[in-house]
Amino acid sequence: MAQFRLQGSRVLAVELGGDAVKARHGSMVAYTGQMTFKKLTGGGDGLRGVVARRLTGERMTVMEVKGQGTCYFADRATEINLVRLDGETLYVEADNLLCTEAGLHTGTSFTGLNGVSSGNGFFTTKVEGHGWAAVTSNGPAVVLRVGKDMPLRVDPGAYVAHTGNLHRSVKSGAGWTTVIGEGGGEAVQVEFTGEGLVYVQPSEKVTVGGDV
Amino acid sequence: MGFTRINGKMVEAQVVPGRPLFSQRGAMLGYTGDVRFTPNITGGQGGVMSMIGRRVANEDTPLMTVEGQGRVMFGHGGHHVHVIDLAGDTLFVEADRLLAFEGTLRQSTVFLGSQGGVMGMVRGQVSGQGLFTTRLEGHGSVAVMAHGGVFELPITPGQSVHVDPQAYVAHRGEVRNKLSTAIGWREMIGRGSGEAFQLELSGQGAVYVQASEEKL
Repeated sequence: MAQFRLQGSRVLAVELGGDAVKARHGSMVAYTGQMTFKKLTGGGDGLRGVVARRLTGERMTVMEVKGQGTCYFADRATEINLVRLDGETLYVEADNLLCTEAGLHTGTSFTGLNGVSSGNGFFTTKVEGHGWAAVTSNGPAVVLRVGKDMPLRVDPGAYVAHTGNLHRSVKSGAGWTTVIGEGGGEAVQVEFTGEGLVYVQPSEKVTVGGDV
Repeated sequence: MGFTRINGKMVEAQVVPGRPLFSQRGAMLGYTGDVRFTPNITGGQGGVMSMIGRRVANEDTPLMTVEGQGRVMFGHGGHHVHVIDLAGDTLFVEADRLLAFEGTLRQSTVFLGSQGGVMGMVRGQVSGQGLFTTRLEGHGSVAVMAHGGVFELPITPGQSVHVDPQAYVAHRGEVRNKLSTAIGWREMIGRGSGEAFQLELSGQGAVYVQASEEKL
């Protein structure tokens, strides 16, 4: 079984004992032992996965890392969050997924208008199964709990990932002041209702609603 | 003596008379006491011949001499700073990653190409690090810059370390490095894993790796 651990907050160390993990293309920074790197055509999960990703634009280039030893991964000095999945589903932007254990499946899910407002397109990446996943964030991410009568609103550019049974919808905070160019700068928000966890980064990507 | 870490991106050094420091020009952030900063025209130690050597080797990052009495803070470009203490051993580092080092260390420029013949040249081209590197040896401290944090991996005989050339920062000790290629038919048809070139380090020592694949 692959062992995931953090080497500092920005480097992921994975101990491999002959098994394989999937990692973002070109994210290896160092390794000891014997490793082989193989690009997975279209991101893995067979031909259906390829077709789905081509259509959805949620394309990630993934490589399979296999071998014996320790492999170190990092991505542009971003912070790394380890997420343990035991049958639940992790929704994450493809740009933020660094590495997944072999026992996890990745797929795409339709998010509709929610994705567009956050500048991520109509689709997001879905990870499910049993094992560890490593998610990157620009700055240390905070994990916010969403409860039954406690919905959460986040800035689309600061949203990284979520787990649990959550429903998301786009809320507009725009009023007549936004129309005349005097908006509060937070015209578009994503609301999460249900029960689960949301990962939020202390940084905002450029989004469609970012200027209003 | 040496450098005291203030936070991940700033170090402080104590300067006493007779023990100058060298730092990258413009890397001083603040100081207390009576400290003088003089641009070092020869770009380090060893006089004019070494200067010419550095100019030729393109390892002539502008340095300044820091001397006097007081405390000086260093930092540059928001990069993470890592302090490496040398006790008689040798450190190899790119000149543009050097933030500051103590004057007790001997500085020289070495030709890497001689280490591996033609492959040495290829390595320099591929890793974007050039064919020359700066060598520091003796007793003292060095402050090295990197994008993202730095972590240290030990190299022991029988356990070599492979590093992505873009994430390589520095190495110390008796270490041989060679560029290993994993180019197969996949790379030929544009289906490579993105890890075609790796720097293989073997021997006895340590390598410093940054958490990013970006150059400074």
